[in-house]
Amino acid sequence: MADLAGVNGQRENFRVVGKHNLPGKLSYALASGVAKFGIDYALPNMLFAKFLRCPFANAKIKSMDTTRARAIPGVVDIVTWEDEDIKALGQSPFGPPTRPYLDNWGDQEGAEVGAIVIAEDEDICEEALRALDIEWEELGFAIDPMDARKEDAPKIRQVEEVPDMFSRPAPKPRNKNVTYATTIQGDIDQGFAEADKIIEYDLTLPIFASHMPNPPSSVAWWEMDPYHGDTPDLHIEGAVQRRESVGRMYGMSNEKTIQVGVFQGGKYCDWGMRKSQEITPLLAKRVGRPVRCANTREETFDFLMNKRYMHLKVGFKKDGLITAVDDYSIADNGVYGNSSFGAAGDQGYGPYYTLKCLNIRQQMEIVDTNSGKMYLSGQHCPFNWDAGTMAIYLIAEELDMDPIDVARKNLHGPASQEDVGPVPSFEACVAEGTRRTGWQWHKAGTKKLPDGRMHGASFRYQMCPRHAFSGYECKLELRDGEVHFPTQGPCTGIFAVECNAMVIAEELGLEYEDVHIDFDFREKFTPVGGGSDGSTASSWAMKECANILKGKILESALKAANNPPPPSMFSFGMPKKENPLKGHTVDELDIINGCVCLKADPSQGLPLKEATTENIFATFSGRPPTSLWTMGMGKMLDTMNALFCEVAVDTDTGEVEILRMTAVTDPGKVLRPTSFESQIDQVMFFSQGCQLLEEYVYDPKTGVKLNNNMIDYKKPTIMDVPTVDTKYLETRSGNAAYGANGISHSLANTHALIIAIHNAIGVWVDPPATPDKILKALGKA
Amino acid sequence: MTEAKADLAFTLEEATAKISDLIGAIPAVLTEYRCPLCEKVFASYADLKQHYAIDHVGAVPPVTVMLTLNGKNCEVLIEPHWTLKRTLQFRLGLTGAKHMCDKGVCGSCTVIMDGRAVLSCQMLAVECEGHEIQTVEGIAADPKWKPLIDAYCRWDAMQCGYCTPGFVVSAKNLLDHNPNPTEEDIKEALAGNICICGTYPRHAQAILEAVEKMKEGAVTNG
Repeated sequence: MADLAGVNGQRENFRVVGKHNLPGKLSYALASGVAKFGIDYALPNMLFAKFLRCPFANAKIKSMDTTRARAIPGVVDIVTWEDEDIKALGQSPFGPPTRPYLDNWGDQEGAEVGAIVIAEDEDICEEALRALDIEWEELGFAIDPMDARKEDAPKIRQVEEVPDMFSRPAPKPRNKNVTYATTIQGDIDQGFAEADKIIEYDLTLPIFASHMPNPPSSVAWWEMDPYHGDTPDLHIEGAVQRRESVGRMYGMSNEKTIQVGVFQGGKYCDWGMRKSQEITPLLAKRVGRPVRCANTREETFDFLMNKRYMHLKVGFKKDGLITAVDDYSIADNGVYGNSSFGAAGDQGYGPYYTLKCLNIRQQMEIVDTNSGKMYLSGQHCPFNWDAGTMAIYLIAEELDMDPIDVARKNLHGPASQEDVGPVPSFEACVAEGTRRTGWQWHKAGTKKLPDGRMHGASFRYQMCPRHAFSGYECKLELRDGEVHFPTQGPCTGIFAVECNAMVIAEELGLEYEDVHIDFDFREKFTPVGGGSDGSTASSWAMKECANILKGKILESALKAANNPPPPSMFSFGMPKKENPLKGHTVDELDIINGCVCLKADPSQGLPLKEATTENIFATFSGRPPTSLWTMGMGKMLDTMNALFCEVAVDTDTGEVEILRMTAVTDPGKVLRPTSFESQIDQVMFFSQGCQLLEEYVYDPKTGVKLNNNMIDYKKPTIMDVPTVDTKYLETRSGNAAYGANGISHSLANTHALIIAIHNAIGVWVDPPATPDKILKALGKA
Repeated sequence: MTEAKADLAFTLEEATAKISDLIGAIPAVLTEYRCPLCEKVFASYADLKQHYAIDHVGAVPPVTVMLTLNGKNCEVLIEPHWTLKRTLQFRLGLTGAKHMCDKGVCGSCTVIMDGRAVLSCQMLAVECEGHEIQTVEGIAADPKWKPLIDAYCRWDAMQCGYCTPGFVVSAKNLLDHNPNPTEEDIKEALAGNICICGTYPRHAQAILEAVEKMKEGAVTNG
């Protein structure tokens, strides 16, 4: 059992942790419509701002005349890239470091370029934008990485190298639009020489727009506060988790950058900021009034999973043991940014390192295009995972083996790639999954259902990756006998604050409802960092903090018992009640049901409020011990998960019905089951959307986006998605609180459906597998 | 200017108190008429129109509309092309109806008008005069619907929570017409609401629990 370093990591009895149906601390604000997101703020005397957007896939403004636009009633100000304050503006934390914040170059359709209009309302902004007299110079463009990598393609980026989100430099060498990344382990020539069979196949991952529900927006204003010196404070709503970063763009300290809102909306690992969230302080300073800048849905239709072409060559023995893997990818890198997950960073750790095979080569071309910006990772399936899943499937097909057996044959043990022992978590997930589904494997195109449709199935395993490498600055307070948990939030939908509150309640002998959350942007603590692995890691640190607070409370209660204050004139001679804690030691005390009491006799105790009146603080800075998986970066294995998928394909209509999705996961220990189950619902929703429905379409002639709206880009509705059969196991082998580690987005965007469709009809259909594409693959359209 | 008011509510009672403040702050009749083009303020609508005739020749002046919102009459000054969604946010301070698609696809801005769920991003505010409009704020503040809000919160029928008010309004509208829905009924009623966090399986659980609680409440109170 992991979590050996933490206090009570081996706890066996849980009262609060693991309990279902505890409402989120801010769920009532959300469900009632009280919660405000950046786009919701409307202040008195507020002005509106809009960016000029580039109408071309790649173009520069040669000249701009703002005269007609400025003359429109209601236009207050027009800022252009030539204004000194825009030129002086520091770059956004996620912007290209060597380009100005705003310039005359629009390197994708919809890019903010050249000018910003401030007016009394948005209609006037738009009218003024239309009235700008602009001479454009259209430039060559390339939307698809296969086009952008050609010798005659136009050069996309001015900047040669752009660091990724962790400030790591872009990989080298570089050739015009392409950077190359290669990792090699072992000797792949030798590996292929040892193989009995070799298979090669291609796989395409399309662009996926798992866009934020709330179009990014902000409102900013400047205001004097006599308690904060003689310069105005910056107030901004809508910057949410990047409040400090936006403040720094304007030279403002954390203390003087004020934001009270905590609701961030869904991010799905898109941690990039939009200019609409950053520009309002500058505009508000210019006009002396609050300014709001909001993106429209169309302006927010960013892709979060980049397009990728993959070619895989796999050598294997007759018994299914893989001897060599040669993986070649061509990945879209967009107009700026450098996603460490979507591109080169995938190679450091991935599916192949779960294999016993020691001969692995991964080569990647990371290609700049005019398709869009790379806003960091996106909620994608990381690490070329599904190329590996397809390898397992194709070997199974070739050898007429169950893919579970192929996976088991190739998966190395927990300790290293040389470890031939089983991974206990994998075996537990497989045993549960096969039992729940009545798993029976069949070869592609061989099983017809009674209604005439073809049946297909797929199996996929993955480890639970860990991205939570940050430390946590925890603070807890006992105030007036109640426990307060100060945090800056934000509220993103992963219920991370709640996991922490549950652990605090567990350790302090309280109920969940007894833990008061004090949201304050000035606080250092934030429970995020990674996905659900961040919640469990922060909960580990908070567990330590809670136990420090507990020790202080017990000491204080004992002090009060042994040294009570003298009778005051207001006691009117009434005898004081005997304190049951008097004369005991700290070791003899505990907190149970909100009372400080004797361990030996919990009926002898006092409620917290009576046990001590002191104002007590506890702090803890730290992180859980590094997980086994992180230490090995994929070459050591702890918690795993398994997915079983079954579909029915109608070969007359091309329609796919998901018959069953069963996810058996081992997050180590589930802290908050309701949100854990919900997390699986979410990744399955993403998977179904991107594999069956969602397709981002560009006009090849102009490079303009054709369906960046929710009518033409089809997201699944409640009618489209089946209920996922979810089962979680708790091997408690994770590194965070009580052996938890979360599953992060290990099940997201799986190729499970695509493989199951192949298993049904015997031909490959690239995602999204829409009916027309299935019929075409079958030669019927 | 002061700090934006914190919009935190840890209980339904706290949320209801905030809603009460929001709705209470909406004036029944306008006492000033602000020009949307130059921010000049007039004491009467007639004065504003005259100002347009003199200073903004050719521009279409705003109009006054009397809305009946969550049982309360309120006069608003808007431009004729404004949607109900825009009016709720920028004239009445109600932000429970959310802007997601702005195309009538996602259901995040759903409100109930005369007993029918409608999309406030697709309704012109001037069309709403004389109709009873109920927003999520009005539903949440009505004790009758406490079991529905409670159930949504207990079952995490939300993640980021942005689309949740739209779902709550659609769910309430379903239960108005069908107090004993099946799971299939629920799916059909919520088919016009999109949740990008993918919380769909949670909604039926929440609504079915709310139905049971409401029945128990009816028995207890009856």
